Amino acid sequence: MELQDLQYAHAEYIETASGNKVSRQSVLCGSQNIIINGKTIIMTDCMIRGDLANVRIGRNCVISEGAIIRPAFKKFSRGVAFFPLHIGDNVFIGEDSVVNAAQIGSFVHIGKNCVIGRRSVLKDCCAIADNTVLPPETVVPPFTYFEGSPGRFTTELPESTQELMINITVGFYEHFKPIGKPRGR
Amino acid sequence: MATYLDVKLVKYVCSCSKRLPVCRLYLCRHCLKLRCSDCVQHEVDTPYCPNCLENMPTSEAKLRKNRCGSCYDCPGCGHTLMTRASNLTLPDPEDATKTISKKMYYMACSFCRWTTRDVNIEDQSVASGAWQDQENEHAKRINNLLEHYRKLAQKEKAEKERKKYVKRRSHMYYTDKYGLTSVAAARKKTLSSISSLSVKDNEEAVSELEPGKRVEDFAPLPDDIFTKPLELSKMTCMEQRLSTPEFQPANAQKMFPQHKHLLIRKSLRCKECEHNLSKPDFNPLSIKFKIQLIALNHIPEIRIGGPAVFVPNKETRVVLTLNNPQTFDTIVKLLAMDDESGLTTAKIELPKKEMILAKRNDLAGYDDNPVKQDFNDDPSSIAFRNLNKVGVIVKVTPEVEQGDVIVSLTMQHEYRNTTATVGTEDTEPPVVWIEQKVFIKLGTIAEKVK
Repeated sequence: MELQDLQYAHAEYIETASGNKVSRQSVLCGSQNIIINGKTIIMTDCMIRGDLANVRIGRNCVISEGAIIRPAFKKFSRGVAFFPLHIGDNVFIGEDSVVNAAQIGSFVHIGKNCVIGRRSVLKDCCAIADNTVLPPETVVPPFTYFEGSPGRFTTELPESTQELMINITVGFYEHFKPIGKPRGR
Repeated sequence: MATYLDVKLVKYVCSCSKRLPVCRLYLCRHCLKLRCSDCVQHEVDTPYCPNCLENMPTSEAKLRKNRCGSCYDCPGCGHTLMTRASNLTLPDPEDATKTISKKMYYMACSFCRWTTRDVNIEDQSVASGAWQDQENEHAKRINNLLEHYRKLAQKEKAEKERKKYVKRRSHMYYTDKYGLTSVAAARKKTLSSISSLSVKDNEEAVSELEPGKRVEDFAPLPDDIFTKPLELSKMTCMEQRLSTPEFQPANAQKMFPQHKHLLIRKSLRCKECEHNLSKPDFNPLSIKFKIQLIALNHIPEIRIGGPAVFVPNKETRVVLTLNNPQTFDTIVKLLAMDDESGLTTAKIELPKKEMILAKRNDLAGYDDNPVKQDFNDDPSSIAFRNLNKVGVIVKVTPEVEQGDVIVSLTMQHEYRNTTATVGTEDTEPPVVWIEQKVFIKLGTIAEKVK
C-alpha cells in the first residue's frame, strides 16, 4: 500500500530553511547542541535532550509522536559522563519509543514503544520490532531484525533494506502536508 | 519498508512459482528470471560475532563451533554479558600490616542482573580471555566416535574409487572369450576387497571404538520428591536448559556463561547459471554490495494507491501505482492472467493501451523546476504522474460475497540487458521484454450495514 497523506495544522509546525519540520509541541532541551541536517520531521510531544550532550540527526529522518531521544551516560569512578548521540540518515523512530543509544546508523527502523538501552549501538540497515526492549550496550549488526524483551536477533532483513528505507522516509516527508497554510508568501 | 509498510499485499510470482513481495526477490540478469532466497544457492562469506563485530575465517569458525571466543551470553536471558571491574583489597604479601588493591573482573548481565558471582565463578585478574569453559564429560567419547566415522567415510570413499577402477579395467581383457573369467575375477576381487575392508583394514578402527553402554536401570526417585516444596526461583526453564544441550542445567546454580553464536554474511548464487546474485562487501559492517541484483532495482514495482471499499459484484475504481527503478523510459503492458491457482477472487479490468514509465532520476528531488514530461496519457486510465511513478486506474469487480479481494495480472515490461554488451560500450544494450505475474490483495469486502 502506498503511503497516505498525513496532514498537520500549519501553525503547529515550524519549517526551517533546510526543510526540517519541528512541532511546536515538542521539547528540545539545549537546542544549541542539537543539529538536524534537513528534511527531518520531529513530531508532537517528542523530547530531545540536547542539554545532556550533542545530538546530531541526519537527513530525512522521522521522529514520531512521543518519542524521547536522550544521549546515554556511563558511570565512572568519578561521576557520570554523557556521550554524544549520532543518528544517521533515513532513520524512522516509532511512536513513544525511548532512545538512549550511543549511535544509530543510517536506514534504521525503530518500531513503536521500544526502549533502546543505554549506549546501544545500532549499525546501518537494521530494524527493531514494535515493543522491543534492547538492554544497555546491545550491538545490532547490519541487516538484522531484533525482537522481544530482551531484544534478540530473530530474522534477517532483505538486501534491499537501504532502498526501502529511503523510499519510506522520503515518501513520508512528501506526504506530510500542512493544511491551512497561508499561500503566496 | 519490509518492517514499516505492509509489503505482503502485492506478491510477484518467482520462477520457482512461490509468491513473494518484490523486496525479497532477485533478478538474475543472465537467465532474466526472478529468484527468491529459496531457489538460490547460499554461500557463507564471513562468519562474524554480532557483539564485537569481529569477523572470523570459516575454518576457524568451524573449529570454534561457530561461537565467538571473547563474547558471552547470559545463561538466564540470553543477553550479552558485560565485563565489570571491581577493586579487591588483598593483604600485602610482603608486609602483613598493609593492604594492596587489585582490579578483578567479573561478568554481569545488564538485563536480568545475573552475574558470574551468583554461581561462584571466581573473578578473573584480566578483563578478557581467561574465562574457563565448562568441560563436557562426554567430549572424549564424541571425539572418538567422530574420528571413527571419519575413518569409515574415508574407507568408503576409497572403496568406491577402487571399484570404479576395477570396472574400467575389466573391459580391457580381451583373452576372455565368454566374459566369464572377468566376472569371476571381478567377483573374487570385490569379495576380497569387502572382506579385507570389513576385517583387516577395519580392525584398527573397530578396536579403537568401544561400543556404547546400555543404560540398564535408573536410580529410583528420592522419596522426598513429592513432599519437598519446589523452589521455582532456583529452577531453570526449558529454554535455559536447551541453550546448552550438553549440560542442560536443572538448577540455576549450575548455569554457566555461553559463548556467543556467530552470524554470517552470505552471498547468493543462481542455481541455473551459477552467476552471483548478491555478494556483500567483505567487511560485515559495510552495507555496500559488490554484486546486488535485487528485483527492486530492475522491475517496475506495483503498489496499491490507497484503500478502497469493495461490494460484491459491484465495480470499484482502484488506483495502482507503478514505480520505474530503471534509468530509462520503460514501456509497460498490463495483461489479464489465467490464474490456475484459484486464488483470484475478483475480476480486473486493465488499461488496454501500453504505457510509458518515466525514467528514475535521483537528482529530481533537488531540482526546483522539474521539466514536465508529456506522455500523451489517456486520462481514463492514468490517474497521475509523479517523476518515475505513474498511477494507473483499474476497475475491480469482486466475485465473492465475503473475504479478501485478490486480483492477478501479468506485467510485461522492457528491460535493458546490460550483460549482453559487456566490452562493447558504443552500442546500446539490447532491450528485452520480461513478463511478471503478480497477485494483489486489494482489501476485504465491506461488511453489510444492517
